[in-house]
Amino acid sequence: MNAFTYLIWTSGRNRVVTALRRVRSPRYAAALIVGGLYIWSFLLRPNNSAASLSSLLGQPTEMIITVLLVLTLMGSWVFGSDTTALAFTQAELSLLFPAPLSRKALIGYKLTRAQIAVIINVLIWVFILRRGGTVLPGPMRALAIWVMFSTLNLHRLGAALVRSAWTEHGTAGSRRNRWSIVIFAAVGLSLVASLIGARDQLGAVHSTGGFFTVLGRVLSLPPASIGLYPFHLIVAPAFAQSITQWNRAILPAIGMVIVHAWWVFSSDTAFEDAAIEASAERARRLDALRARRSVGAIAPPRAASSTLRLASVGHPALAIFWKNMLCLRRTAQLRVFVGPVTMAIAIGAATSGAGADLGLVFAVGALVLTGMLLLFGGRLIRNDLRHDMQHLPLIKSLPMPAGEIVLAEVASSALPMALVQMILVDIAYVSTLASRENPLGADLRLAIVIAAPFGILALNAAILTIQNATAVLFPAWVRLGPVVSVGVEALGQNLLATVATIFSLAIGLIVPLIAAWLAVMVVSGSRATQLAVVIITASVALCIETYGGIRLLGRALSKAEPLQTT
Amino acid sequence: MISVRELTKLYGDFTAVRSISFDVAAGEILGLVGPNGAGKTTTLRCLGGIIQPSAGTIAIAGHDMRTDSIAAKHALAFIPDEPHLFDYLSVEEHLRFIARLYGVVDVETRLPLLLDELELSEKKRALPGELSRGMRQKLAIACGLLHDPSVLILDEPLTGLDPGGIRRMRQTIAGRAANGSAVILSSHLLNLVEELCTKLLVVRQGEHVAYGTIDEIIQAHPHLLGQSLEDVFLALTSETKAGG
Repeated sequence: MNAFTYLIWTSGRNRVVTALRRVRSPRYAAALIVGGLYIWSFLLRPNNSAASLSSLLGQPTEMIITVLLVLTLMGSWVFGSDTTALAFTQAELSLLFPAPLSRKALIGYKLTRAQIAVIINVLIWVFILRRGGTVLPGPMRALAIWVMFSTLNLHRLGAALVRSAWTEHGTAGSRRNRWSIVIFAAVGLSLVASLIGARDQLGAVHSTGGFFTVLGRVLSLPPASIGLYPFHLIVAPAFAQSITQWNRAILPAIGMVIVHAWWVFSSDTAFEDAAIEASAERARRLDALRARRSVGAIAPPRAASSTLRLASVGHPALAIFWKNMLCLRRTAQLRVFVGPVTMAIAIGAATSGAGADLGLVFAVGALVLTGMLLLFGGRLIRNDLRHDMQHLPLIKSLPMPAGEIVLAEVASSALPMALVQMILVDIAYVSTLASRENPLGADLRLAIVIAAPFGILALNAAILTIQNATAVLFPAWVRLGPVVSVGVEALGQNLLATVATIFSLAIGLIVPLIAAWLAVMVVSGSRATQLAVVIITASVALCIETYGGIRLLGRALSKAEPLQTT
Repeated sequence: MISVRELTKLYGDFTAVRSISFDVAAGEILGLVGPNGAGKTTTLRCLGGIIQPSAGTIAIAGHDMRTDSIAAKHALAFIPDEPHLFDYLSVEEHLRFIARLYGVVDVETRLPLLLDELELSEKKRALPGELSRGMRQKLAIACGLLHDPSVLILDEPLTGLDPGGIRRMRQTIAGRAANGSAVILSSHLLNLVEELCTKLLVVRQGEHVAYGTIDEIIQAHPHLLGQSLEDVFLALTSETKAGG
């Protein structure tokens, strides 16, 4: 066993053993049982209903995934990509850098470590897809998904290397990486050329569904199809409908992994120095703030060029909120929203149906984005206890009741997220006014837009309280810090966490829904009035319930000890 | 000002601190010394309200840390060995944040003075990531001193400071005590402890082995007469080891 394999193996084993030792605490033991049952029911439980997912793995989805893949990777080029795989911990810097190892060996080590996350997510997806009764055997499906995730991981890293080379070396950096630049510029040009060539064809379509059909046809023809071909190679094995198809697709896909690995490893040596230095600097910055817990890399906070005003007197909870707003302002990464916005546009357009007008497309898109931010938004911004649990000694020394600290922390992420969603709902409402159609009826739409702020606020508060609760109750098992895992290869973990949150929320919604039902029994009026009453009553009940949860969480925080986070 | 009675902290079966009692009056500086793993940081964290004791009582400025923790925390400043700072707040923003939490009304007057005192004025817009280890330590100290605490708890406060910073910090600690603050100072720098502290609490394996002024401790251990503090410290901790 070489030194790197030994390090990865023993680190992983010790991490698992340490996490399992926590089970001696009743709280962690209960969580393990609930988590085990959840994993079993969601992933492992035998499925007799034969609700097939194979239809989801057909040709149209493959095309959509290919285009989304292109958009995601272009996002890496436009907005920058994270260099998590190249960020070294302080221990790695201290022990590996002075060791007689080549730079390529160090990069290889980090890429190997990244494979752990890739493999975990591959397993999650294999189990999810297994339940759909798909035709491919598990190992084949696993290899296909591994190829897709690994290529994505390598590509994002490669894009980060090239972009950084531009920053580090200017024109010289561009020259060194000219082939990478040329290839991806060619892909972009092929897409643009196809779209320009088919502009009359696309402009002639009057329905959204038809638009996407034509768009799909255009992209499947040269020159776009040539540009998309490498991306198609990556996703093809995962969408194979038979073993024969898989056999045909897998070798070219593995070839893509090899090409990407070669691309990353053959990056300019001088740049490798810069990348490692950047990682070292980042690790140095974070190390002092991590409470001895390595959490991966984040973009360093932006310079404090401007600030928000804070009066020196007033409720101290507002100081926590102010601090977290500065955190949001300085650490929010635009690229994490690329995925939801792209999905919202696609789903909004696709679900608005034939004959839809632009107003309706906007309305559906805005509502889809609202829903996506409601479900996934809490995972995109983490300016609350999920970040501050790293500073537990400081947080606990503050002269404030723990319940108020939790309230301010939850509000820090819930309020901005709710505000964005409220704006989106308003955009949707205004868009329907501009629509030729009259979806739902004017009175219902008005009721929704009036009651929506209550619902949005209550749901965000509840969801983010649940997510903060995991950080307070299980700090040893939850990834703390402002890290946002946006890579497609982390999608499986994010999906599991989101579904768990929704389950918890569903349980929390039982009482509010009963309250809403009782309110409707009492209040008479039009359908619109009743809808508003339902939303507002359920929201108020959920807020009360959430507040109770926050008080309980405050008690847990006051008992939490720094050792629990290490 | 600080009153600790029968303080005990257990981690499962492990006793980190066992029945420690001591008092620190206004104007006194208590040196908390002991070998690594003796329970110093655990004791200080209990005093700072960061962890809850398993048994015993802690009173800070007359406020019980268990029943009246907010008032107790208002009166104290806890400065840890590792500066815990928010990576997205600048130096000045850290101080404004602390000012709001502790209700420092005259922050506009105090802030520049404190920044000057700790040589942070030129770095007031810098984020912690842009500061050296010593600068970060100075910022943590500034955060602790901003609200003029009547109780100061310092855990290895000189770590990372340059010689000039160490001298100023020594003066600051002595000055705060002279102005009526009660100070607890944990450090392995025995010359610093000898210079500043009016009393000593020597701990080992979670138990106190000696408590009082240096003269009182030597009086209780006559064979240590004439020895340096370092020799006294080593003798006390090894005596306990041999005896214990």
